[in-house]
Amino acid sequence: MKHLLSLTHPIQLVGGLTIWSIWFVAIYGGLSVACAVAPPDPLRDMWTGINLAVGLATLGAMALLLLLSWAAVLAARRTSVRRECYFGNVSAGIYLFSAGATLFVGYPVIFLPPCL
Amino acid sequence: MDPAGPAASHQFWVWWAMLFFSVVVALVVFALWLYTFRRREQPQRTPREEQRIMLRWVLGGGVLLPVVSIVALLVFAAPTGRGMLPLPLPEGEAERIEVVGHQWWWEIRYPGEEDEPDVVTANRLVMPAGEPVDFRLTSADVIHSFWIPRLGGKRDMVPGRHSTIRLEASEPGVFGAQCAEFCGAQHTGMLLHVEALERDDYDAWLAERRSPPEPIGDEADAVRAFGEHCAACHTVAGFPEALVDDGVAHDIVGPDLTDIGSRPTLGAGVLPMEEGAIAYWLQHHQTLKPGNRMPPHNHIDTETLQDIGAWLETMEP
Amino acid sequence: MSDIKDATLTPEVQRLHKGMQEVWGNPKGLRALTVVNHTTVGLRFMVTGAIFFLIGGLLAMLIRTQLAFPDNNFMSPEVYNQVFTMHGTVMMFLFAIPILEGLAIYMIPKMLGARDLVCPRLTAFGYFCYLFGGIILFSSLILEMAPASGWFMYTPLSSGEYSPGPGSDFWLLGITFVEISALSAGVELVVSILRTRTQGMALHKMPLFAWYILAMALMIVVGFPPLILGSILLELERATGMPFFDVAGGGDPVLWAHLFWLFGHPEVYIIFLPGAGIVSTLIPVFAGRPIVGYGWVVAAIIIMGFVSFGLWVHHMFTLGIPQLALAFFSAASMLVAIPTAIQIFVWLSTLWLGRPRMTLPMLWIVGFLVIFVLGGLTGVMLALVPFNWQVHDTHFVVAHMHYVLVGGMLFPLMAGLYYWLPQVSGRMPSERLGKWSFWLIFLGFNVTFLVMHWTGLLGMRRRVFTYDTAMGWDIYNLISSVGGFIMSAGVALLILDIALHFRFGKKAPQNPWGADTLEWAMPKPPTPYNFVSLPKVETRHPLWEEPELSRTIYEGQHGLANIEHGRRETWGSDALTGKLRETIHLPSNSWWPLFSSLALAVVCISLLVRVYWVAALAALVAVVLLLRWSWENGAHPKVAPDATLEPSEPPLHFHTMNGPGVWTMSVSHLANGSLYLSLLFGWFYLWTVAPEWQMPESSPLSMPLLVLAGAALTLGAFVLSKLVRRLRRRNDVGLGGGMYLIGVLGVLQSALIGIVIWQAELAPIESAHDATLLVALVYVLIHALLGAILCLLQGLRVGYGFVSAEMPMEPVVVLRLWHYNLVVYWTLFVAIWVMPTLLGGAS
Repeated sequence: MKHLLSLTHPIQLVGGLTIWSIWFVAIYGGLSVACAVAPPDPLRDMWTGINLAVGLATLGAMALLLLLSWAAVLAARRTSVRRECYFGNVSAGIYLFSAGATLFVGYPVIFLPPCL
Repeated sequence: MDPAGPAASHQFWVWWAMLFFSVVVALVVFALWLYTFRRREQPQRTPREEQRIMLRWVLGGGVLLPVVSIVALLVFAAPTGRGMLPLPLPEGEAERIEVVGHQWWWEIRYPGEEDEPDVVTANRLVMPAGEPVDFRLTSADVIHSFWIPRLGGKRDMVPGRHSTIRLEASEPGVFGAQCAEFCGAQHTGMLLHVEALERDDYDAWLAERRSPPEPIGDEADAVRAFGEHCAACHTVAGFPEALVDDGVAHDIVGPDLTDIGSRPTLGAGVLPMEEGAIAYWLQHHQTLKPGNRMPPHNHIDTETLQDIGAWLETMEP
Repeated sequence: MSDIKDATLTPEVQRLHKGMQEVWGNPKGLRALTVVNHTTVGLRFMVTGAIFFLIGGLLAMLIRTQLAFPDNNFMSPEVYNQVFTMHGTVMMFLFAIPILEGLAIYMIPKMLGARDLVCPRLTAFGYFCYLFGGIILFSSLILEMAPASGWFMYTPLSSGEYSPGPGSDFWLLGITFVEISALSAGVELVVSILRTRTQGMALHKMPLFAWYILAMALMIVVGFPPLILGSILLELERATGMPFFDVAGGGDPVLWAHLFWLFGHPEVYIIFLPGAGIVSTLIPVFAGRPIVGYGWVVAAIIIMGFVSFGLWVHHMFTLGIPQLALAFFSAASMLVAIPTAIQIFVWLSTLWLGRPRMTLPMLWIVGFLVIFVLGGLTGVMLALVPFNWQVHDTHFVVAHMHYVLVGGMLFPLMAGLYYWLPQVSGRMPSERLGKWSFWLIFLGFNVTFLVMHWTGLLGMRRRVFTYDTAMGWDIYNLISSVGGFIMSAGVALLILDIALHFRFGKKAPQNPWGADTLEWAMPKPPTPYNFVSLPKVETRHPLWEEPELSRTIYEGQHGLANIEHGRRETWGSDALTGKLRETIHLPSNSWWPLFSSLALAVVCISLLVRVYWVAALAALVAVVLLLRWSWENGAHPKVAPDATLEPSEPPLHFHTMNGPGVWTMSVSHLANGSLYLSLLFGWFYLWTVAPEWQMPESSPLSMPLLVLAGAALTLGAFVLSKLVRRLRRRNDVGLGGGMYLIGVLGVLQSALIGIVIWQAELAPIESAHDATLLVALVYVLIHALLGAILCLLQGLRVGYGFVSAEMPMEPVVVLRLWHYNLVVYWTLFVAIWVMPTLLGGAS
């Protein structure tokens, strides 16, 4: 199990995007439920608690992914096994992509109201 | 491709910008690929140099190019969608018109204030020009989609749900509209005639229809025949209740015919309205619009149909 | 270059080849129906797919004929609707997916240096499901009752009320049947790629094609179940009236759209990835150098696989979903441009650094590039919500999607076809005819669809059977139609070329294109056992670095070159490092796949004609047949006539605790889990979003009974894991008795769930709430029964001596099922009992 968590294991190839997917499902599902249960007044436009929550979740997920990306680079540098170095680097790239993807997908919260 | 409203013209410019950019990108990529086949000489390169060249291409073309383009797209183009949101306007409520999709025609309702009944018409949408209008959409049966191409985007009409789209016609005019979500046999023949009028003309048009209907006398043969054959599905305001034969059970509703004489088309845009057109439609509607929901009238003699048609043509506010 | 022709065959090696032929060879006559060999079944898949392609193409020509002129009366609207529905359905479900799976089934073991896929009987079963499902679906067209609601089958249009005939039933049942085939291929491709690579081929040394297929197979496994669930629910609604998608009963038609596109969008990438895999295989060969940026490509594949699941709503931008939610999907849709661009520039730099040769396959690759890049660019435009609102459901989208699908799939497939033809037939295709057909198809395609973008921008909607001349679309439609016919002429020429080449093509050399992968080390035409001896491969380019491999393999100089025992064998290797782990013993030809798929076909047909007792009976027969099939496994004498091994070889897989069966079970649970999650999604979606959803004041389900059933399950799983832990220590005391005990616990659990259902007095016809509950409970009931039956069978197998401390694998497989049941049961309990009780009846 410890082996799977090592940042040079190929399972890490899917780690970044798994976090991204969970975050994505969470904001999309959360948004739908929030709009069904307690839709904010359209007058408030994008200045709502929902936008704030989604925005914070976005920043949090992005920070986590950036951190993991950096950690994967370090892990790849530390190891001497070619295979581990290889998977560490590729994973780092995908973590980085996921971080960017998180920011990119979450960005519209600053100009759109949540439930219209 | 001939925008007549702010939403449509936004998209018009977005389209040309995207097209120009895309063509440039595509041509450059094609040229680079084909060039690789043309070169004769290849310098000897060390793996390090190869790595550098690869990184240059992949980082430049594979990462930077798409990232820059989609960020530009998201930042500049995506917010144009805001204009179509039914956000509150500074000058108060926008005009609201309800549109209900049916297989295969449009029911248009102008909501009345308080206890006032809605003004109901069909297959012809009249709207004020020069101001935003909120269309509240739903469907009575399957999923349809409401689309006035020259005014802007489309919005699906889903049974059991209401959704609102804001459109604006800059100038008065006549526009085509159509159902854009496949909805069955006569999806093709589900057209809507849209007219944008100056605010005053629009108010006058609506006021004409708001006034309470005059009762219709029950003497004429055509009225009796209409009551027997048609009134179970089709409403005409002021039609004598007693004449309605609802012995035949119908689970569908036909268009409201109160102002049919004033409409420009028949059968949701299948036939232009002219003298005698209604009678012709009543006899041949299953050939003109095969599969439509009105049962064939083979059991009714031609004379009666012509009578009904002639009478309906007089139905104007 | 050393060739198979130069091989020196000692009498011993000749005997080896002869023995291999006897064990692996295909029987003739009626028994050809029992064949499980991946080469044969893969070819069957591809030929059947090609036939469906021609049918789908014919339908397309009918559409273009109808639209060639305004107010055309060539077809009535009813027929036209059937034709375009079937065109989409046939091309997506009966051509694109199966033919690519066929290619993967044919190619993957050969590229990985294995002798067959890991579950050969499942390959055959998948093929028969595809064939029968395809025939059932296609027969509807001949009977003139084809589905006519579009290939996306939006309800309520496809519901019993608005599509009363059997058309929609044909679609729902036929497609579900075909999807069983896709799933079974997906599962075994995943396991085969991970576990049967030849010795030394570590994960990062395998050919890129295998990465692409791995991603495709995983996407099939996760992506198809939502549609299977949707189809089951819609068919239930049509057959019995359960209102899952009916607003009045508390359902919601938008749920169908979600389930459909949750499958439908990944499907596009499922089709594209193998196409890109072909491109990534061919470009290095014709550039004469290894691909640059292997890691970049792997990352791009993984990103595509994931992100493609985050885009489904971009098919639903106009459905009235809040704009912020749309913006998420819009952004995610644009993100796909990045991995796509990475691949295009990796290919470019490979060509840049190599010395590319323009050959016939390469010509198709260039055609792919041109068409696909254009399709990709319009794709980015469509991802923009406001623009999408304007062109959605117009011919612009039709043009875009044909550019992506034909460019991304058909052109690479044709490149692959010409590239691998010599491998299959041993002959070279004709350059001249091939070029002619390429140019006809390429020009015809662009003439048809480039113009169509414009037609769409002018406002021409999709799926209209005619248009008025006043719209001014006449000339564009005519051009499109003419282009369509040019393209079909090209396809005709292509077929002619391929047919002629089998007769007149000149003999191909051993490695005609100078390729690097193992499939070119085989004799031509291919032997059913692929490689007489399995080589050790530690490079990405075995044939470039060891050109003598073809000969040494053929001379039997490598591993597993022994056939005295009469078993079909291939290597099982470590998923990560490629180190040898076990010898996988593969089952031989069998009637069970045919029989069980026939029984399923009977189920399907009797549901169509609504004779439900026959359907129930046939389903029972199918279950019995499948269980009987599973009986012939492991140490059963029919599949393992002799369990002795050379001391140097790794152990037979059923002597280990981590054989391919364990992996197959896990990957199947990925599919099963995706189905379950879709069901949960449906439950929560209807609960929160459906306008008329009715949640009763208190749950109709009996909590004590539910907990009791869960306790039986938990206890069973606990005992089973104890038994497995003891097996790990080579201790099988009380194994049989334990298995029977767990089986009884499973029966108890099933009975309790049955009582819960019976006591709840649900009204599934009136309310979507009750209908969804019923489906969820039946789902856990089926799993409980399956868990019970498998344990009881294990008890029997212990008695027969098929399972013991020496052969401990099967209980591990069953344990995976019990763990799965455990997770599903308790999460479902929370979702359908705890949460409604806590949150109360308000909806």
